[in-house]
Amino acid sequence: MSAAPVARPATAEPWKQISSTSRLRIALAILLPLALGVTAILLGLRFELALLFVFMPSQLIMGVIAGRGISGKRGQSDAILQVLVMFFGAAVFVLLISVVWSVIAQGWPAMSWQFFSQNNVYISSTTSLEYGGVGHAIIGTLLVVFLSTVVTVPLGVATAVYLTETRGKTRSVVRTLIQALSGLPSVVSGLFIYALFIASGITQYVGWAGSLALIPLMLPTVTRVAEESLILVPQELRNGALALGAPAWRAFAFVTLPAAKSGLLTAVLLGIARIIGETAPLLITTFAADSTNPNVFNGPIATLPTYLYQFAATGYETSIQRAWGAALVILLLVAVLFIAARVMTRTKSASKKGRK
Amino acid sequence: MSSLIAEDVNVWFGQRHVLKDVNLDFPSNEVTALIGPSGCGKSTFIRTLNRMHELIPSAGLGGRVLLDGTDIYDAGVDPVDVRLRVGMVFQKPNPFPTMSIRENVLSGLKLSNRKVANAAELVETSLRRASIWNEVKDRLNDPALSLSGGQQQRLCIARSLAMDPEILLMDEPCSALDPGSTRRIEETILELSDDMTIIIVTHNMQQAQRVSTRTAFFLAEDGNPGQVVEFGMTDDVFNKPVDSRTNDYVNGHFG
Amino acid sequence: MSEIERERRNLRAKPFSKADRRFYRTATWAANSSIVLVSLILIFLGIRSWPAFQSQGVGFVFGSSWNTSVEPIVMQIGPMLWGSIQISLLGLLIAVPMAISIAYFIVFMANKTIGRIVTTLVDLLAALPSIVLGLWGLLVFSPVAEGWATMLNQALGFIPIFASNSGNLLRSPFIASWVVAVMIVPIIASVTREIFSQLDRELINASLALGAGRWSTFRMVIMPTSFGGIIGGILLAMGRALGETVAIFFVLNLVFDYNWFQILDAKGGSVASMILAKFGEASPAEVSGLMAAGVVLFVVTLVVNSIASYIVAKAQPWRR
Repeated sequence: MSAAPVARPATAEPWKQISSTSRLRIALAILLPLALGVTAILLGLRFELALLFVFMPSQLIMGVIAGRGISGKRGQSDAILQVLVMFFGAAVFVLLISVVWSVIAQGWPAMSWQFFSQNNVYISSTTSLEYGGVGHAIIGTLLVVFLSTVVTVPLGVATAVYLTETRGKTRSVVRTLIQALSGLPSVVSGLFIYALFIASGITQYVGWAGSLALIPLMLPTVTRVAEESLILVPQELRNGALALGAPAWRAFAFVTLPAAKSGLLTAVLLGIARIIGETAPLLITTFAADSTNPNVFNGPIATLPTYLYQFAATGYETSIQRAWGAALVILLLVAVLFIAARVMTRTKSASKKGRK
Repeated sequence: MSSLIAEDVNVWFGQRHVLKDVNLDFPSNEVTALIGPSGCGKSTFIRTLNRMHELIPSAGLGGRVLLDGTDIYDAGVDPVDVRLRVGMVFQKPNPFPTMSIRENVLSGLKLSNRKVANAAELVETSLRRASIWNEVKDRLNDPALSLSGGQQQRLCIARSLAMDPEILLMDEPCSALDPGSTRRIEETILELSDDMTIIIVTHNMQQAQRVSTRTAFFLAEDGNPGQVVEFGMTDDVFNKPVDSRTNDYVNGHFG
Repeated sequence: MSEIERERRNLRAKPFSKADRRFYRTATWAANSSIVLVSLILIFLGIRSWPAFQSQGVGFVFGSSWNTSVEPIVMQIGPMLWGSIQISLLGLLIAVPMAISIAYFIVFMANKTIGRIVTTLVDLLAALPSIVLGLWGLLVFSPVAEGWATMLNQALGFIPIFASNSGNLLRSPFIASWVVAVMIVPIIASVTREIFSQLDRELINASLALGAGRWSTFRMVIMPTSFGGIIGGILLAMGRALGETVAIFFVLNLVFDYNWFQILDAKGGSVASMILAKFGEASPAEVSGLMAAGVVLFVVTLVVNSIASYIVAKAQPWRR
């Protein structure tokens, strides 16, 4: 029989204690400025001005008064800190929501079956939304990104293996160079491939050139995340495998790799997320195309970002709607990757509980 | 029956000389305990006996470790072969988290690419020898991490036993466990010693007396490399030690 | 050297079996390919941009004129380079308070559930492709920000940085900085959050228990210990901001004339956007100039990134 749990004394964390009068003060300090701000807007003041010159100052003043009432002098500076943190934090969310909402709201009208299935042949900047779509660009994006991925993931993961599982002499050099690569501006990566293959006459604008241009951008992400997930595998597991008489590669394949699996999948997904919206390097290498081109090894190929770019630049209403539509499709692709990555990292802990 | 002899073993980490002139002869099918205060190099020493020592960067070694007369550090010796014959149980239980209990027992076979005719039988005998069979026989497919710490350690012992090593090294196998689990593991050690050479590093002097036939006392004094101060029958080392430092240590005057 | 020392064998875990050697060889080969890839990019960019550096001299970096219709052609990227730096710095000025606030909120104010939700949202923001931000910046944000700029200009126009020579306040560095800020907030926020959550909670509770307020705890305990790491994160974000291309291209007027401080004026620069803008109808000589511009940008980014990783490594010894 266990004894009834002893209640934690209310004074255990005195700085967390809030009395009911204090609650009232805090409520007032929040509601009063809000009321003032709303009144100012109703009286015809611009929203931003009301926020900045009515709501914020009154919120700060009320916060200081409430803070002083609750915990004396230090309550003042605490109130200022908390009000500012909430204000700046809220600003981030206003921006985030503004971006996501704009894309959804503006992109929604473009959503239709033919927007996903059709391509851009015979479509001008003013063609009605009933015709044409991003089908060719979705295929293009998937192909170009896929080709980059099949090259980069083995390379990046194997490099991460070199960094974590071997005692190679050039590890710090490799790490430094990969780090340097992450600073390569994407447009420069595109320019590099352009000068190497296209300007030199080896090929015309072509899908694989775009894939190549994306590799240097994807590689640092994949390598770094893979390296971190391999580092997280405890050394004891490797030692345990080796002590059982495992050759290094079998210890890696049967112990280290399964233990790092979800982290490595995350590395792949983050790598894809890094390049899926890249525009500048693709404009320079794959260029744009109106027709569906399922062959990355022949001719220009359209991708979602270049499609978006192409239509955003014009300025006609239907074009802009097409651009928003493409943005929404990109956002959906990113969301799928993002959720997949989340699920992967979640299952890391879940897999410990139930298998079979 | 296999013999293991350490001859003039010296160990360095980088420039630091941590073990000096260790000469120990481990008779077969006996339990030898290695005792001594923290930092005396006993754990380091046990890792030289199955070439786990070399996994640490900048590790250096002098002298020889003879397994049936062959130096295990000879150029022509594959460390994998050494580790197949000399198993090891670590201080912290380290079952493979992505595998079930059964897969953990069989992991050594998979890791060394061996086949066995009757896997189920091997699983049972190994778990029985590690005296954990009764606790896990109904949930062999559960993940290994669902076991308690003491059970995990016995699973790790079973995992080593499944490889049928001639010598088993145990590096403070009970230091992270509760008294009940410790007792179970000590019983296992005594049973195993009938047909296997066991070398166990321990901080616990009662444990050394309970399980071992011979005891080696390691000591590192004032930044000098660790050395074997005394090696002999366990009863002698604890009851009538030759060296006064051994006497002080086994009677709890330091360490 | 003592007798014993002479007997020492330096041990290395060497692959013994054929399969192990193949395993290590594959990993080494991959790592070497990465080295080759990076070296290749550096060497190639160097070779291709050399003619431009040679013909333009120091003026390439600091001069302010780009004219390819005269002979010999003039290619100077000064205003673009300054624009990239100006927009990054302004972007940081906007992003840093927001990012640190979010991190502070997640770690020290929110409970576990809310903290996790906010973290997810910040990560989501990080996953937004920059072209989507560019489109938003162009069509949604620019008109709003132009309104802000007009108010600032009218109210504070007597201060030089809020003045405008052209009177045109759309497509200004001010607006581009906001778009860049939205992009880099999550980078700084996640670095800062990680550093905050590594802090010893006991230390903070002890400080609070001693009667120090949240503010003095923030100033005296939290900031001093996390300062280096946050600076590192900020520089990392600056590296991203310097290389941003399309999002800035959508919302900025590129002008080859130094605009030192009139941030509201529709006159700015960005090396990356300039490369994109000029690339379409570039002659081979001009491509060399664009390559050279890319090299200069890469070098600036590298310098910023190396300072960042140096500071982060110093401030976060627990990371390797």
